[in-house]
Amino acid sequence: MLFTQVTLINRILIPRIEFEMNPTGSLCANNWARSSSLVPPGNGLQTNLSLDPSSFFGVGIETPFKEINQPSPTQCVIPGESKKDVKITDQETSKLQDWDPSAMLNNLSFLEEKIHQLQDVVHMIVNKKFQPFEQPRELVTQEQQLITADLTSIIVQLISTAGSLLPSVRNTVANTSPLIGQLSQLRGINLPFGTGTSSGIQPQNNCENKLFDHSIQNDVPNKCEMEQNHNMEEHEHKDEEDMEEGENLPPGSYEILQLEKEEILAPHTHFCTICGKGFKRDANLRMHMRGHGDEYKTPAALAKPHKETGSEPKLIKRYSCPYGGCKRNKDHKKFQPLKTILCVKNHYKRTHCDKSYTCSRCHTKKFSVIADLKTHEKHCGKDKWLCSCGTTFSRKDKLFGHIALFQGHTPAIPLEENKGLAEPPDRCDAKENSTMVGSMNFCFGSNPSSENGIDNMMDVKGNIDDPINYFSSLNFEGCNFGAFNEFSQPPFEDSDSSFSFLMSGSFNYAPKSGGESCSDNL
Amino acid sequence: MNPTKPRCNFNSPSLFRSLTKPKSTQIQNINILFFIFIYLFIELMLSESVFCLLTEDLLIRILDRVNSDRKSLRLVCKEFHRVESTTRKTIRILRIEFLLGLLQKYCNIESLDLSVCPRIDDGAVSVLLSHGSVNWTRRIKRLVLSRATGLGYVGLEMLIRACPLLEAVDVSHCCGYGDREASALSCAVRLRELNMDKCLGVTDIGLAKIAVGCSKLESLSLKWCLEISDLGIDLLSKKCLELKFLDVSYLKVTSESLRSIASLLKLEVFIMVGCYLVDDVGLRFLEKGCPLLKAIDVSRCNCVSPSGLLSVISGHEGLEQMDARYCLSELSAPLINGLKNLNHLNIIRINGVRVSDFILQIIGTNCKSLVELGLSKCIGVTNMGIMQVVSGCGNLKTLDLTCCRSITDVAISTIANSCPNLACLKLESCDMVTEVGLYQLGLSCLMLEELDLTDCSGVNDIALKYISRCSELVRLKLGLCTNISDIGLAHIACNCTKLTELDLYRCVRIGDDGLAALATGCNKLTMLNLSYCNRMTDTGLKCISNLGELSDLELRAIPNITSIGIKAVAINCKRLANLDLKHCEKINDSGFWALAFYAQNLLQINMSYCNVSDHVLCLLMSNLKRLQDAKLVHLTNVTVQGLELALRSCCGRIKKVKLQSSLRFSISSEILETFNARGCKIRWD
Repeated sequence: MLFTQVTLINRILIPRIEFEMNPTGSLCANNWARSSSLVPPGNGLQTNLSLDPSSFFGVGIETPFKEINQPSPTQCVIPGESKKDVKITDQETSKLQDWDPSAMLNNLSFLEEKIHQLQDVVHMIVNKKFQPFEQPRELVTQEQQLITADLTSIIVQLISTAGSLLPSVRNTVANTSPLIGQLSQLRGINLPFGTGTSSGIQPQNNCENKLFDHSIQNDVPNKCEMEQNHNMEEHEHKDEEDMEEGENLPPGSYEILQLEKEEILAPHTHFCTICGKGFKRDANLRMHMRGHGDEYKTPAALAKPHKETGSEPKLIKRYSCPYGGCKRNKDHKKFQPLKTILCVKNHYKRTHCDKSYTCSRCHTKKFSVIADLKTHEKHCGKDKWLCSCGTTFSRKDKLFGHIALFQGHTPAIPLEENKGLAEPPDRCDAKENSTMVGSMNFCFGSNPSSENGIDNMMDVKGNIDDPINYFSSLNFEGCNFGAFNEFSQPPFEDSDSSFSFLMSGSFNYAPKSGGESCSDNL
Repeated sequence: MNPTKPRCNFNSPSLFRSLTKPKSTQIQNINILFFIFIYLFIELMLSESVFCLLTEDLLIRILDRVNSDRKSLRLVCKEFHRVESTTRKTIRILRIEFLLGLLQKYCNIESLDLSVCPRIDDGAVSVLLSHGSVNWTRRIKRLVLSRATGLGYVGLEMLIRACPLLEAVDVSHCCGYGDREASALSCAVRLRELNMDKCLGVTDIGLAKIAVGCSKLESLSLKWCLEISDLGIDLLSKKCLELKFLDVSYLKVTSESLRSIASLLKLEVFIMVGCYLVDDVGLRFLEKGCPLLKAIDVSRCNCVSPSGLLSVISGHEGLEQMDARYCLSELSAPLINGLKNLNHLNIIRINGVRVSDFILQIIGTNCKSLVELGLSKCIGVTNMGIMQVVSGCGNLKTLDLTCCRSITDVAISTIANSCPNLACLKLESCDMVTEVGLYQLGLSCLMLEELDLTDCSGVNDIALKYISRCSELVRLKLGLCTNISDIGLAHIACNCTKLTELDLYRCVRIGDDGLAALATGCNKLTMLNLSYCNRMTDTGLKCISNLGELSDLELRAIPNITSIGIKAVAINCKRLANLDLKHCEKINDSGFWALAFYAQNLLQINMSYCNVSDHVLCLLMSNLKRLQDAKLVHLTNVTVQGLELALRSCCGRIKKVKLQSSLRFSISSEILETFNARGCKIRWD
């Protein structure tokens, strides 16, 4: 159970925002209905649902389609599903159409309904005030809380619906009312009357879901693979995304927003209304605006626009990734929301986009976020801290922590300076070799047709070359000890750098190429 | 070490010599009696050697009784030689070419010292190890490779892998050593003692290698291994839990390191001189850690304050030694009071600290068991303070009062009266001390072994007469005591026969007569400084040449000595290792020629401003196989070509050369590169 009532309701009521049909949702709603029997009648939701079943269906059905469609925008289409594909595009285009008057009418009638409802509630409060001591005090306070919660939810709905009337407002909802966990739970009371109808609808939906599930099934393992890959790659970046893992907000205590792919990838998010120039930051836009006239130079114009709303407790905003099947997508079973728009952008680029930035030093590591590349380039090549077990570390203290932890592990002195002839390649070296071989095999197994495959081939070359260098230079060193051993060091240097790059390369590549080969097979 | 052939039969002249010549007076009386007995016995028997009848056990016992002069003993007879060879455990090699033969002869060597052996290198090691049946390395437990800069990591690893029982290694002052060498050292898994002072290239990686490889390490010195940081120390204290001695002097470690070190449960001695990043926070870690700590040295740690030191003291009641030289500006009373609880405290060194009579009084009353007190360059030391401190510390053996200029004879008399066991007294620059104070010293402190009176202008011949009563004196420094003459020196020479070190720097009234007395009386002298004693001539130098043990001789700027005197020294002083002849302009080629041929043990020579020619310089540099350090500044008769030739001839062995900076660009760069590559340092003057 990932979505609570509040989000559910929000979605039902606001057609612009994608709705998702969750079979367990109604179950929960029933539970809440039972627990909150104190709630007065006159809930307008029922009417709303019955009034506007078409929009409900439309949205409800829409999502599963999206689920199929989105996992592989760049990948080949599942064979035999072309018909559905067309259908999906139809749906999408219809959705893209700006506004239709009938929906607006619906919304208006809903507003009206809501205002009535509000009146009822106020009436009830007034009635309650006349008989304050009839019930135990606790109950009274509880009821009062319920009522206020109800009230707030209704107001929220009002505002959001009213907001949706404006055609310019899309995807984002100006939701400013205070919705905290406790209150939002109580919001469940809105639904019980709707269940009558919705339960009737749901079986249908379930059927459809099942149907789609079947069609998706082919796709599923692939998605899992992908996801694993992403995880593998992602664990390198220690950023906000990972930090967030432990956040554990109760589902529903936050509002979920989902940006479109195009929006995420757009270089600029703030545009000048006068000249159309784009900016990454609002502050920069405001600075820019000063050039357009004196009216933009006032302190009010230059101040942060959203500051004044901060005094009121806001609903926490969380973001969902538009990529279906992604853990960050709200349809995922173990959905983990993203904290900020920046997180969304970085996440989407890192996980669902091509890695177009290649490190100019090692030519191996690729990144989709330029900041990641810059971070990597700071450390690339130098400071490769290597343990005798073959593990590499980017930081010395990490290596030392590793050595302190494991018995018998020692830091490996870079190969260029590896110790002399008397020692046969010992346990550690053997291990290193074996890992290299492993990665080699893997590289061969992958599909060399792709760009990555070619890279892998290059890797393999490096792999083959290196041990030779290593041993030959060792021999050289061995013969040469004695007289002028000070002079015999330079030959090693090249082999070292290529080796360290190889280690990192093979480690990072193996899983990735595996994933790609799978997708190619499909 | 000169290998001698075993004599076939009894060698009575040799024994006689060992008994009669003053050289062997170290042999204790009981041994002499024993020898005489044997000698007479053999004289009676005439034909057979009695030692054939004695078992090896008994012979070994006899040898054990003779502590120091095993060399002359070896010459006595075949049996002695054989037993001496089998029981010898330590060997110090002067020249690598003898090593193999010596190792074959002495088959039970456990400690091998190659520190004075020039340019032992990887090739030499491989030859030594590959030499057939010789498995001499099987028993080696201690290896001294100090300053063996010629040895690379390949040779080092071969050597260490060949010695399975190795327990102690000294690679101090091998400046070029780095992680690879450290990794070679880490092959010695039984290693318990390791000295890596000034292995400049060793980083945390190298230390980690050693920490993981040699987990039984008990003693480790990392002084001046400047690359080592907190990380390395942290790992060390996690891996080497047996550590008892640790020296991290001059490392750039912070208090974090002390947090790690505090976890070493067996640590007894911790030295951290000049760790300027460590502060009181670090010392507080030590308060709770290292339960067995006995000695701590926080000298020159600028960030340490008395309160930090107090926290260490309060945590360790068993502390025996505390060094806080040049790190505290002032001693605080709480710190001194804290010393009260330390019943075992023997040694306090607080050089350079401001003290007061009150502080010294507390030390005197609280630290009754004090054996050594260092107050060198302390500000505020007065007669009263000294009197108060010594009245409490009657067991003092070492007292350092260098540069405590305000103390007078009164203080010296009190010291003499209160501390009858005094063995070492340093009074450098205490120029208010006169014969009056030293009179009392000569009366009471008969155990005195070391006396430093450098720059005490109050010392005269009478004072020397009083001092000469201290017949146990081993080291005497009289530099810049311009008032002493041959008469005073004769007193010393007559009575202080154990003297090994004498400094007469700029004692301008000393002449040949004094030296003649010295040469007959103090025949154990090994170090003699006569620089700027410009009255001495070749006659005095000839007398000096009788000092057979002499190893260090400084004759700087003595205008009257010539080649004749130097030749005598070169021929007779076989052990001569360091010779300073700077500004001795009357010495010509024949003198240096003699040095080139006779002074084969010479390690360092300073011949700047000397009149030596191309030819002889070249001869000297190529012929002296042990030479490691030569100062060759302002040689007016030497051409650039001659100098180049000389440098080429010694290129394989020499470690340090000092040259005139004006020659920097005239000497061929190829030579300089070769020198650099061989690890030889060139200093430009």
